Amino acid sequence: MSEKIYLLLLRFHAARFRQAYGEEAVQLFRDRARDERGLFAKVRLWFDLLGDLAVSVPRGYWYAPQELMAASGPPNWDNIPSFQVLDDRPPSRGALVLGGILSVVALAAVPTTIGRFGGYRPLYFSFAQSERGFSEAPARQDTAPAAADRGGLDSAARHRLIQAAAQTLKEHYMDAAVAQRTADALLNHEKNGDYDAITEGPALAAALTSHLRDASGDMHLDVAYTERVLQPGPARPSPAAMEQYRKAMEQQNCTFEKTEIRAHNIGYVKLNSFPEPSVCGQTAAAAMAMLNGADAIIFDLRDNGGGYPGMVMLLAGYLFDHPEYIFSPRDATTRESWTQPVAGNRLADKPVYVLTSKRTASAAECFSYDLKMLKRATLVGETTRGAAHAAVFRPIADHFGMGIPEAKPINPFSDRDWEGVGVEPDVRTNAADALDTALKLAPRRQAGK
Amino acid sequence: MPKQRLHPLPSAAFQILLSLADGDRHGYGIMRQVAEQTSGRMRLGPGTLYGSIQALLDEALIAEAGLHERRRYYRLTPAGRKLACSEAERLAGLLRVARAKRILRGDYV
Repeated sequence: MSEKIYLLLLRFHAARFRQAYGEEAVQLFRDRARDERGLFAKVRLWFDLLGDLAVSVPRGYWYAPQELMAASGPPNWDNIPSFQVLDDRPPSRGALVLGGILSVVALAAVPTTIGRFGGYRPLYFSFAQSERGFSEAPARQDTAPAAADRGGLDSAARHRLIQAAAQTLKEHYMDAAVAQRTADALLNHEKNGDYDAITEGPALAAALTSHLRDASGDMHLDVAYTERVLQPGPARPSPAAMEQYRKAMEQQNCTFEKTEIRAHNIGYVKLNSFPEPSVCGQTAAAAMAMLNGADAIIFDLRDNGGGYPGMVMLLAGYLFDHPEYIFSPRDATTRESWTQPVAGNRLADKPVYVLTSKRTASAAECFSYDLKMLKRATLVGETTRGAAHAAVFRPIADHFGMGIPEAKPINPFSDRDWEGVGVEPDVRTNAADALDTALKLAPRRQAGK
Repeated sequence: MPKQRLHPLPSAAFQILLSLADGDRHGYGIMRQVAEQTSGRMRLGPGTLYGSIQALLDEALIAEAGLHERRRYYRLTPAGRKLACSEAERLAGLLRVARAKRILRGDYV
C-alpha cells in the first residue's frame, strides 16, 4: 500500500530522473520501510520523503540536462522570447490533444464572455444628440446602467470632474456673474467634503445637479452620467451620421405617419418627431399642401418626442398670416424666432387642435406651448412630459456631460417654460381618447355648404 | 550558460563523497552511511540522493562500480577524492578562523 503511494509520488519527478533512478528510488524506499519499524520511524520516513520531494522535484527541473538547455533557444537576446525545456521527453499525444482543446476553449471563451456580459456595444450615433438637436436626447441618464459600469470614482477623478464642471460653466453659461457664483459654490461643496462619500457616477451627477440648481436657481442646469464614453467637445453629427439620418427619414416618410382629410373636411396629421428641415422640408411642405383646403387641422403629437426647432418654425409658419414670435427655450432671440408666412396658404385662420400625451416632449412641447400661449390652438389630451431641454449638452469627462443654457431667449408669455412641469392641455382627456374628442370639438361643415 | 550544480559544493554532495571514501556503496548504503557519519542529522531522501549522485556522475567525481545483487554501486574517482580533500581543507580553514575568533574552543582538528 505505502509503496503504491510512493510510486505515485515518484511521478512528480522529471522523466529523466525516473528513467535513470526510479527503480533504485523504489528499492531505497523498500529498504528503509523494511529497516525502519515502529510508529515514530514510519512517520519520520514519510516526513523525509515528502520533504525530499518538495526540495528535489523543483531542483530536478531547474537543472535540466545541459544538452536540452542548449537546444532551448538563445537565452536573453534582446526581446526575443526563449523557452526553457522542463522535461526531456517530447509531450505525449494525449497531452498535445488536451492542450489543443484547452487552447480552442480559451480562445472561444474571450468573445463569448465579451458578448454575454455587455462588453460589446453597437456603434451607432444617435442623431438626436447633435448640438442643434432638441429632443429626448438618449445621452441623458434615463435608465440605470449596469452596476458594473457605474465605475468607482476616486477623489482624484472627482476633483477633475468638479474642476471641469466649474470651468465649463464659467466658459459657456449665459450669465457670467451667476456662473462664477455657482462654480464657487461647487468648489465650496467639494472643500466641505460633501462629495467624499460618493463613488458612483449617477449619484455624483445627481448631487452636482442639485447643487448647481440650488446655487444658480436655474432648473435647466444639470450634470448627467452616461454609460458610454463621450467624445470631447460639443457633439456634432458626422457626415456619416447625417447620411444615416437622411436614410432613416426617407424610410419613415420624415415621421409624418399619417396625413389625411377626415370626415367633415378636417385635416389630420400624425407627426412623430420634428425632423431637420434641410432633410424633410419638402415632405413637410407636401403634407401641409395636401391639408391646405381643410376647414380645421389636427396635429397629433401624442407620440412625438421632439426634434429640431427649425421644423417647429416651418410648420408654425402655416398657421399665421403674419410673422409671429415663437419662443424656444434654448435659442437666443434672433430673426429666425419669427415665423414666415407661406404664399398660397389658406390655413392661417382655420381652427387648430394639438393632441398631447405624457410622451409628448421637447420640441413637440415647444410647438404646443407657443400655439397655446398665442391662443392659436386648442390642446387636447394629457399634460406633456416637461422636457424643455433648454441646455446645450457638453461632455466634461469620459462618462459625464453637462447641460448649460448658453443663451437667454425672451419668453413673452411667462417667467417659466415647461421644464419639469409640462404643458397643460386646454381640454383634458386620456391620450387614447384625444383624437375623438378633438374631432367632436372641430367645427362641422354644414351639409351642402 | 550551464548552471553550476556543484559550485559551491552542497553539503549533501560532500557527505556522499565522504561516505564513499572508505569503500564502494549502493544508494541505500550511502544513505545509511551519511546518516551514521552525521549522527542521524542528515537522512537523504531518494530525490536528493539520486539527484546528487547524478550531478556527481556528470562531473566525474564518482563513477558507477557495477551491479551487485541488482543494486548499482558507486565509487569515488581520483577527482572526487581531490575535491573532497580540498573541501575538507576549506572547512578546516574556517575552523581555524572560528577558533581564532574564540567562537569555537577545543583542540581537535
